[in-house]
Amino acid sequence: MNELFFAGGLPWWAILLIALGTLSLLVHQFLGLKRRLSPKKSGLLISLRALVYALLIFFLLSPGLIEKRVTKLRRPLTVILDTSQSMGFPAAPGQSRDGKQGKSRIDLMKEKLLEGKEPWIERLARDYDLRLYQFSTRLEPITAASLPQLTAQGKGTRLLEVLREASRDAGSQSGIILFSDGIANGENSSLDESVSLPVPIFTVGVGETRGFTDLRIAELSAPEFAFRGRELKIDLTIQAYGLAGKTVPLYFNRGRNLVSSRNISIDRDPFEQRLTLSYTPKEAGPHSFSLSIPPQEGEWITQNNQREFKVEVQRDKIRVLTLSGSPSWNYRFLRMALKQDPSIDLVSFVFLRTPTDSVDVPDSQLSLIPFPIDEIFLEELKNFDVLFFDDFSHRAYFNAVYLEKVRDFVREGSGLAMLGGIRSFDSGGYAGSPLREVLPVELDGKGNFQTGSALRSVLTASGKTHPITRLLPDPRANEEVWKKMPLLTSLNRVLRAKGEALLLAAPDGASGGSPLLTVGKYGKGRTLALMSDDFWRWNFAAVGANESPQNHLRLIRQAVRWLAQEPSFEQVQIRSVSGSKAPGEKVDFKIRVLKDDFTPAANSALRLRIIGPEGEQIPIEAAPETEEGEYSAEFTPTKEGAYRLEAEAQLADKLLGRDRRNFVVAFPFGEMEDGRPRPDLLKRIADASHGEFIPITEWSEKGLERMSAKLESLAPSQVVERRQIPLWSTLWTFALILLLLASEWWMRRKWGLV
Amino acid sequence: MLKAMKRREFIRAIAHGLLLAAGLAPRRAGASHPREKDHLTPFVFAQVKYRGGDWNPHPLAVTPLMEELMQRTSVEAAASRHEVALTDRELFSFPFLYISGKYDFDPLTQEEIEILRRFLSYGGFLLADDALGQPGYGFDRSLRREMKRVFPEKEFGRLPSGHAALRSYYLLRKIGGMRMVHPYIEGINVGAATPVIYCHNDLGGAWERDQLGNWLNPCTPGGEEQRRDAFHLGINLILYAMTENYKEDLIHVPFIRRRLSR
Repeated sequence: MNELFFAGGLPWWAILLIALGTLSLLVHQFLGLKRRLSPKKSGLLISLRALVYALLIFFLLSPGLIEKRVTKLRRPLTVILDTSQSMGFPAAPGQSRDGKQGKSRIDLMKEKLLEGKEPWIERLARDYDLRLYQFSTRLEPITAASLPQLTAQGKGTRLLEVLREASRDAGSQSGIILFSDGIANGENSSLDESVSLPVPIFTVGVGETRGFTDLRIAELSAPEFAFRGRELKIDLTIQAYGLAGKTVPLYFNRGRNLVSSRNISIDRDPFEQRLTLSYTPKEAGPHSFSLSIPPQEGEWITQNNQREFKVEVQRDKIRVLTLSGSPSWNYRFLRMALKQDPSIDLVSFVFLRTPTDSVDVPDSQLSLIPFPIDEIFLEELKNFDVLFFDDFSHRAYFNAVYLEKVRDFVREGSGLAMLGGIRSFDSGGYAGSPLREVLPVELDGKGNFQTGSALRSVLTASGKTHPITRLLPDPRANEEVWKKMPLLTSLNRVLRAKGEALLLAAPDGASGGSPLLTVGKYGKGRTLALMSDDFWRWNFAAVGANESPQNHLRLIRQAVRWLAQEPSFEQVQIRSVSGSKAPGEKVDFKIRVLKDDFTPAANSALRLRIIGPEGEQIPIEAAPETEEGEYSAEFTPTKEGAYRLEAEAQLADKLLGRDRRNFVVAFPFGEMEDGRPRPDLLKRIADASHGEFIPITEWSEKGLERMSAKLESLAPSQVVERRQIPLWSTLWTFALILLLLASEWWMRRKWGLV
Repeated sequence: MLKAMKRREFIRAIAHGLLLAAGLAPRRAGASHPREKDHLTPFVFAQVKYRGGDWNPHPLAVTPLMEELMQRTSVEAAASRHEVALTDRELFSFPFLYISGKYDFDPLTQEEIEILRRFLSYGGFLLADDALGQPGYGFDRSLRREMKRVFPEKEFGRLPSGHAALRSYYLLRKIGGMRMVHPYIEGINVGAATPVIYCHNDLGGAWERDQLGNWLNPCTPGGEEQRRDAFHLGINLILYAMTENYKEDLIHVPFIRRRLSR
């Protein structure tokens, strides 16, 4: 229907004045005509003139017509279906675990959408401009035809992120229907101000909380690294649903060995209890732990009853044991170097008295303590990282059998340093002991200990690059430092350095080829031989020459670290493990390999293997990088769990070293950890977006009508188009005026007035 | 008292026999036996020479102490002392210094002060021994004056009875010497160490013995027991210099505490 309107143009009083003036003019003209014509003819002519005037005044009001046209739109509607793994859980109680039998949440959802003569999904497609999506970690468009094939395979539920994306793309006229169990484990797992929901969201809750039965170990917090001898704490939360009144055991295992267990009394529903467990590792290395609670009857999900984690136990300090044959300046300054280093824990025994020394007081007036031979060699030795024999001979104190323990100690990966003196090497009787094969110098029983001559220490080519003798980073400055080292006055002469050992420093010409500082390897351990009891002069005599004592201190500390196989002193170093560390995603490794003298090992045979979560061994290939000694490798894990990369390098069939690194592969979501439906979150989403929450069991015709009404109230789907048509400027109105004026003129002519 | 070397050999023979019986006898090391001093890098008792006063009040004091040291402990020592001036280039070859005297001595030069400060700050040890025994006079006055120049911020303090120097070998309850001026010794602490220890009781006088084995000075008022305490203190201070606070290591503490409680 069209509507008349006046656009105006002149004020009403002006139009009134014009109308009054026109009326006066018409009266005046009527009176003039009445004198010449009959009243009837006069009235006719004036009427025609009045019509013309009325039309002109009417046009002064700018009349027009409004033309309306109503259009009904087909509203867009976005339907989003949750296909994450949790949708595979049972939809309602009384069904078997894990959704493997009975109706799962996703089956219930599909049934609701596809059931009946005219399935809901078809009705929605008919009434709306339907956009259909599935989602887990991302939004993915699907067709209605593919709906029956949907499975709950998604590795996570980025619910709020997906809703935000869908809302942004939906448009103001649309609404969103979300079918989900409400589990959200993306970066946003709770509804906060950062989640913007501009279009109404109708959330359809799939799955019932009533009857949900589960027991889970949640929020496990364990350190990635721990220190040997220091208690490590593991924080965890136990959650239980539908199991009130039960008491369940919690087992804490290291590998297959039970560390501790405790009973958890579930006294309410829902139940949540925070616990802290502790463990004191006694040895360094990777430790695998597990926490487990036996599956309870009726539980929907059992894989969340156990958690596994790995902790790399490191020594917090390098534990050094020194055995000194007598008090000496070497001991004095060795002790100074070790004691002042906060990363070294020193236990030292100095034999203040030999069996042949006599005292003039009872033992009770002496501070001497008995040397605990059995405790040291049979029990405690394994707890040390490095053992120093400082001018110490076993012969006066114990049987050489104990030295077999020292040999085993080194073979298993620890460090042994023998320092010179009258009680060391050949002079100490070690040629006939189990340590002969361990030490990096050759002993034949004929070597001796000489004093008196002044010896200068000269670095070998290996000594110039080795981390023990590299006292300054700059090679030239380092050589200068060694040239300035105070002279030594004693030397243990032996045959030579062993072939596989590395001679780092030798006395200058007068020594006859006897080594001064030699390092070697034995089994998994490392050895060092310093053939003088006089190297304290590198400290104190240097001070007297206005040089720094730091060179001596640094040498000792670097030797200890090398012997203890500190990571920075390893020849094989896993430098980085990078990547997303999620199943199916590539993990990159960088490895550095150095020769014995710590120059890059370009052609080494580097073997890498991955130890998987179940102990499976997977070899991987290493590729050399452009930089010498640098290698890279990659690995794509297929499942979640704790992994370890182990690297071992050889050069000319000789082991250079090993390294290992733990890493955890996990999806960034905990989809299978907590399967409890979250209708509360779905309700809050609906409220925040002015939509409505509908449990899937109540999804019906009425629900759809309510949704339509709500969408209509928020944004009507009819569009009214309006068009203005001005009347005065049309040809017909101009013709009408012209016709009236022409008729009047014709009558006037007929009646003889013109 | 037996002459040191004779008694030493005798005791060694006895000990060897006992250890054989116990199955713990040390094997002979042939030509390289630890006791063969010619091949050793021994402890050297270095005595400081200074100008003025009397730097050498007891010329024969050191050898008896060294003999006692070797007889009682595992330390191998040069039998005689080494005389050294603070400006000698070889000073830092002798981390243990002994300074003694009776009278006022000339102030040390600034170079000597700085050398001594460096010596004591980086691991050296100084045993000061007042042969006059008159606090505030003579050697005591000069020593305190010079040590104040070496460590202006530090003072001599009385060593507590639990100090490592009093437990480094013997568990000392008494301070010996030729005379009893103080029943304690003093020291200057630098960090956790005490590189300067000062005895007022004339230790050198108590140690001094002639070539025939006769003591040159009587110890008063305690007699031979006081002399024995002086030797014990000398040995303890040498071992303290060579092991620093070794006896404060945790492994020693319960043993020492148990013995002291008896």
